Amino acid sequence: MQDPTVQFKYAGELVTARPGDTLLSALWAAGKGESMQAGCGGGVCGACTVSVRFADGRPGGTDLGCMRLVEEGMEVFPCPVEPAPAKTPASGPAPETLRASYPTLDRCTQCRSCTAACPMTIPVMDSVLRMQRGEWQAVAEDFTTCIHCGLCRMVCEDKVQPHNMGLWVRRSLALAEEEIPPVAADVEAREWDWLLAGDSGERLRRAEVFRREGRVPA
Amino acid sequence: MMDWAEESMARVAATREARIGHPGPKIEGEEARRLLDQFHPDHRGVERSIAVGKNAGTEKFPLELAALLEADSLLPEAFEPAIGIETDVLIIGGGGAGVSAALALQGSGLAVHLATKLRLGDSNTVMAEGGIQAALGEGDSPRRHFADAYVGGHGDNDSGLLKVLCESGPESIGWLIRQGCLFDRNADGTFRLRPGGGTSVPRVLACRDFTGLEIMRVLKEAVRQTPVTFLEEHAAVELTDDGAGQVTGAVLWDRKGQGLVTVSARAVLMATGGSGQLRLQGFPTSNHIGATGDGLVLAYRQGCGILFPGSHQYHPSGGVFPEALAGSLVTEAIRSTGAQVVNRDGHAFVNELAYRDVLAAAILREVSEGRGVETPTGRKGVWLDTPLIERKLGAGALKKQFPGLVHRYARYGIDPAVCPLLIYPTLHYQNGGIEVDAWGRTGVAGLWAAGEVTGGLHGSNRLMGNSLLDITVFGRRAAASMAQEIPVRKAVTLAGLSRYREALKKRPGFKAAGAGGPSAPGLFPEASQMKFKLVQEQAPAPQPGPETPPAFEPPDPFARG
Repeated sequence: MQDPTVQFKYAGELVTARPGDTLLSALWAAGKGESMQAGCGGGVCGACTVSVRFADGRPGGTDLGCMRLVEEGMEVFPCPVEPAPAKTPASGPAPETLRASYPTLDRCTQCRSCTAACPMTIPVMDSVLRMQRGEWQAVAEDFTTCIHCGLCRMVCEDKVQPHNMGLWVRRSLALAEEEIPPVAADVEAREWDWLLAGDSGERLRRAEVFRREGRVPA
Repeated sequence: MMDWAEESMARVAATREARIGHPGPKIEGEEARRLLDQFHPDHRGVERSIAVGKNAGTEKFPLELAALLEADSLLPEAFEPAIGIETDVLIIGGGGAGVSAALALQGSGLAVHLATKLRLGDSNTVMAEGGIQAALGEGDSPRRHFADAYVGGHGDNDSGLLKVLCESGPESIGWLIRQGCLFDRNADGTFRLRPGGGTSVPRVLACRDFTGLEIMRVLKEAVRQTPVTFLEEHAAVELTDDGAGQVTGAVLWDRKGQGLVTVSARAVLMATGGSGQLRLQGFPTSNHIGATGDGLVLAYRQGCGILFPGSHQYHPSGGVFPEALAGSLVTEAIRSTGAQVVNRDGHAFVNELAYRDVLAAAILREVSEGRGVETPTGRKGVWLDTPLIERKLGAGALKKQFPGLVHRYARYGIDPAVCPLLIYPTLHYQNGGIEVDAWGRTGVAGLWAAGEVTGGLHGSNRLMGNSLLDITVFGRRAAASMAQEIPVRKAVTLAGLSRYREALKKRPGFKAAGAGGPSAPGLFPEASQMKFKLVQEQAPAPQPGPETPPAFEPPDPFARG
């Protein structure tokens, strides 16, 4: 019995794959690895952005080639996105500094293209509206899972840069955090001396004691 | 979705209530050593010594790595380096260690080039999920951090390196926050610290299950604002030297132009990361596609020693089903939050917070003795009882704390809040690597190294959260050391490579790459079928020109300009 196969088109070329393959693994197996930009292969680096159309007429869209499974008759196009220039965060986000860095913030027409484009199901457009209103904590939460693939920026007719602004807000929040007080210059030289004494066998025994007690035993 | 496992899943559900408050047995001491000897892949003897270089005839190497170290260079024999780029510091690798170093070199007055085989940030760093350790909690100290990591590393750790790591923890978190990283906080504003396998107190800071992504996206954005010159999609294929033992630059392969570019540098930092894509012994891997051990090969040819070449971390919880997620990481934080590891019958056979190597070995034993679960594609695994987290912490807890995991499995119709996940050890981390001192110096003049490509710090088993700390601490220390001791510019030759090639040729059975023999570094996973190739033997340095869109793509109507 022949193994079942699936056929799909990538950049106009027919590719035969095994059911259960991701687009990336299918292209690798077909010797077409160079045709898809790839980085982590695990859905977090955003290198392998693609657009997808389905044979059965249901709406397609943008996705990650390393996560999307092959389907019979699907048509896929590579959709690489160049990074946008970085902008300096502020110490604490404020509406005027965000708008100074990203003047297109208020051009959002609420078309929802960015939300539809996001492979991480972030409510991107809603979050852009939250940025307009200065709801920084909620914005930071929205963009916790952002992989910066850039698709939301690429599809925006009005050149709004949602993911860049999301990271700007997050970084600006971090910059406003209190400094971690420096650890009192490690005065515990005695504890280090005790831990580092002897050969590796002795050190191992001492480390076992230290992790139980949390300090040098009395 | 997983009806083939229905019966076993029912047993897991049926035993869940009774297991609450009853973790599996601890496996420690002599019993742990026996388990490791019998079942851990490092201990199976699938290794051999090699005939050339500094570790010749002494250390044992995994077969896949040994083959690379005894393979010919990718460079054609006739290749003569002609300097295309001149810089002060060349950083090879665009992950956390390389980018930390690039940031730390700002203000040094040195010109910095950063070359990376993929794009900036495409690395294992971005895939790290669970967190980063720093002694910031109640009852904690850098000494306690040291003690935990030293026991976890079986006392094989370089204690000098480890002391520096642990002492630098709190300051490093401060540095990351100043770059713009947000770590999870408790309601009272203090850091939320989780335990990890082998930590004696909660010490792991996180940004949900995207800690590495958070660090990488922030550092990447920060470094793009510096004058560093990035050479993306430029893979290092050889280091150059001055003919007298000092590294003086590198030969890079420009993947797009398919030509070679020679860089003259006063200092080179090797920050190429790990080697999971060698897929030792056929194991799946959680690593990014560039993790092919390139830095080990290049540094070894220049005379660097490799510590613990046979020690790798098999992360206990790699994905098994669906096939698309086979080998992908299921963060250890899931276990420190309460998910137990149970077999086919719903029995918790081992404490879920055992050291990674012990837990991996326990899972391998369970499966090999027939108490695992098999998928329709023939993969095997045991259960990670994720619904237990919802049972303990309330509905929605999993989604709140582990949005990445939930999102990844939801694509394939699996909800870890309801359905346990199958796991099996996955090749995750290269414990060993290039020998360095506490300033990243390799012992070869002109060459520094930092991050996963180095060895010694983690001994023969690394604790969760110590690699993100490693890259932050030692990437910056290597930068400080390079700035302090930057050598004067020397000649760029391939004398080191020629010597290594002569040694290789003396081996019986050696076949040069030009004659169809194997070559290294591998650059890409074997399964990708991607290969090093040159359009012409020696292309001129690439000239940036206008990008023409590929023929199959319609013009972008929204493009600027």
